[in-house]
Amino acid sequence: MQREVGTLPLAPALRARLAAAGFQTAQELLDTGPCGLSKEIGISREEALEALQVVRQECHGDAARPAGGSGATRKCTALELLEEEQTQGFIITFCSALDNILGGGVQLTKITELCGAPGVGKTQLCMQLAVDVQIPECFGGVAGEAVFIDTEGSFMVDRVVDIAAACVQHCHLIAEAQPEEDLRKALETFSLENILSHIYYFRCRDYTELLAQVYLLPEFLSEHSKVRLVVIDGIAFPFRHDFEDLSLRTRLLNGLAQQLIIIANDHKAAVVLTNQMTTRIGQSQSTLVPALGESWGHAATVRLIFHWDNSQRLATLYKSPSQKESTIAYHITSHGFRDVQPPAVTHSTEGAEPNPRKRPRTEEEKQ
Amino acid sequence: MAAKKLRRAQLSQEMCERLSRYQVTTCQDFLCLSVLELMKVTGQNYYEVQKLLCKVSRACAPKMQTAYEMKLRKSVNPSSAFLSTTLLSLDRVLHGGVPCGSLTEITSPPGCGKTQFCIMLSVLATLPVSMGGLDGAVIYIDTESAFSAERLIEIAASRFPTYFDSDEKLLCMTRSIHLYRELTCCCVLKRIMSLEEEIISKKVKLIIIDSVASVVRKEFDTKLQGNLAERSNFLTRGASVLKYLAEEFSIPVILTNQITTLLSSGPGIQADLVSPADDLSLSE
Repeated sequence: MQREVGTLPLAPALRARLAAAGFQTAQELLDTGPCGLSKEIGISREEALEALQVVRQECHGDAARPAGGSGATRKCTALELLEEEQTQGFIITFCSALDNILGGGVQLTKITELCGAPGVGKTQLCMQLAVDVQIPECFGGVAGEAVFIDTEGSFMVDRVVDIAAACVQHCHLIAEAQPEEDLRKALETFSLENILSHIYYFRCRDYTELLAQVYLLPEFLSEHSKVRLVVIDGIAFPFRHDFEDLSLRTRLLNGLAQQLIIIANDHKAAVVLTNQMTTRIGQSQSTLVPALGESWGHAATVRLIFHWDNSQRLATLYKSPSQKESTIAYHITSHGFRDVQPPAVTHSTEGAEPNPRKRPRTEEEKQ
Repeated sequence: MAAKKLRRAQLSQEMCERLSRYQVTTCQDFLCLSVLELMKVTGQNYYEVQKLLCKVSRACAPKMQTAYEMKLRKSVNPSSAFLSTTLLSLDRVLHGGVPCGSLTEITSPPGCGKTQFCIMLSVLATLPVSMGGLDGAVIYIDTESAFSAERLIEIAASRFPTYFDSDEKLLCMTRSIHLYRELTCCCVLKRIMSLEEEIISKKVKLIIIDSVASVVRKEFDTKLQGNLAERSNFLTRGASVLKYLAEEFSIPVILTNQITTLLSSGPGIQADLVSPADDLSLSE
């Protein structure tokens, strides 16, 4: 209630008038009432009422926050966070080596960035994740839906059909090996049509459409509350041409990053972005670095760089708050993203906490 | 979509006038401002500005479709999804042929047959659908002056002697192949920008650009400062317009590229000269 007038989200012209009239705290405004306010400042009664409603909403929000309401500032202890993180699911990639270096898979509530040269497999991984996020919980998945924002036009529905069919078949094999009722029941809803109907696709042709779509995402996610994955493939393409003003580009990108972090946290979703590579020309040699500049490197929590080594595809975990830097090899088969060799050991824990919802997987059937 | 005027985004007339005083006339200008700047410019409080942002975003955001709807739409018309190249093994590898609705890049060292392949595809595109063609016109943008009309007629006559049995049929086919000779990057870009109307008026079903690499190589020396940025600017602009045309009209777009040597500390390896964000790469 003692909040200063200058910090209230009123129209700037109105704020200037209030300051000129000598109002200092929000409580003063509320005490004056709409008629008094309109006479003192010289605005209409309706405008005064509107202003007071804004003030009341703000102050009510301020008072509600310490009670633990879901406002912008949430306070919790590290123990609560630990418990939350341990029960959180990961979105698996079907390449167990990649899942291992990521600590289980793509994490929810974090932004993961995939960088690489064209053709190395970034869009393939995005399509794989859009299918994998829908795996039912009894199979170790997150049972969510996916939003796919495409700026490059590289989304191929036929490829998603292939990947989804392979995933459904894999789950069928698991269900046959472990004859349990709930596995079979979950498989009834995990069909090709259902998987495809729960991938929500947006095609953005330039950065304005991308900005507009990200502004509208929170509303969309509130309507579709089961969405657990937002993919933006690729974030660099619309920002790399037609931008003379680099400072505007940095500002827009930072704004985007902030909005995506808020979306990831509020809706418990994983955000996956793909980035291109660009050449940085040094004194004696040139190197490939992720595009969009140094400042963009701070936006993502986890950064994966895909590259070639002769004809083998490699993935390097470049930036992660909890896992160490390492490189693994992967394969892209007709079924999607896979390991290079069939994994010899089962998935049960190598130091990672057992997720209470996950069942220990049997040995993966290879193709 | 970005250049959509705010008037058509259903903002009130007085709001539009007020915004135009600050040079904010299109959706793009509006969305590029931060929330504080918007409050100053519109003179509204925070919550009203959020509502305005949602309104403007709704005016230019893309429509949502589920992957299932996309699949249904494709399966309704399966024959029009590919242009068969009539080379059986190539068609098998490509799952049907050159895909409609996306860009395809053909690269090779000189003399391997890229231009010949493009000429053959032009003939194929003019054939009726019953013979595996697209029954439409072709736009051929030639930057190397390598297109030979005589060779075109020779290919058509020897490959499909029963169909092109009269001179009249050959002339009819040649009339539907529109050749544009562009020799600089600027001209190529201008031509690409003007293609939308041509595609509609001439009922074009295939676009070929032969070749992107030669104009870029002539004009941009990547060792000079600033050239690399300008070159990628030109390439990404061209690529995004071509992608839009390919998707909008569901037609195949073919680009040819050259191969050069990538000098690194190890032995020289072959690399494509230019790499815009293309969908598919064929190396011969």
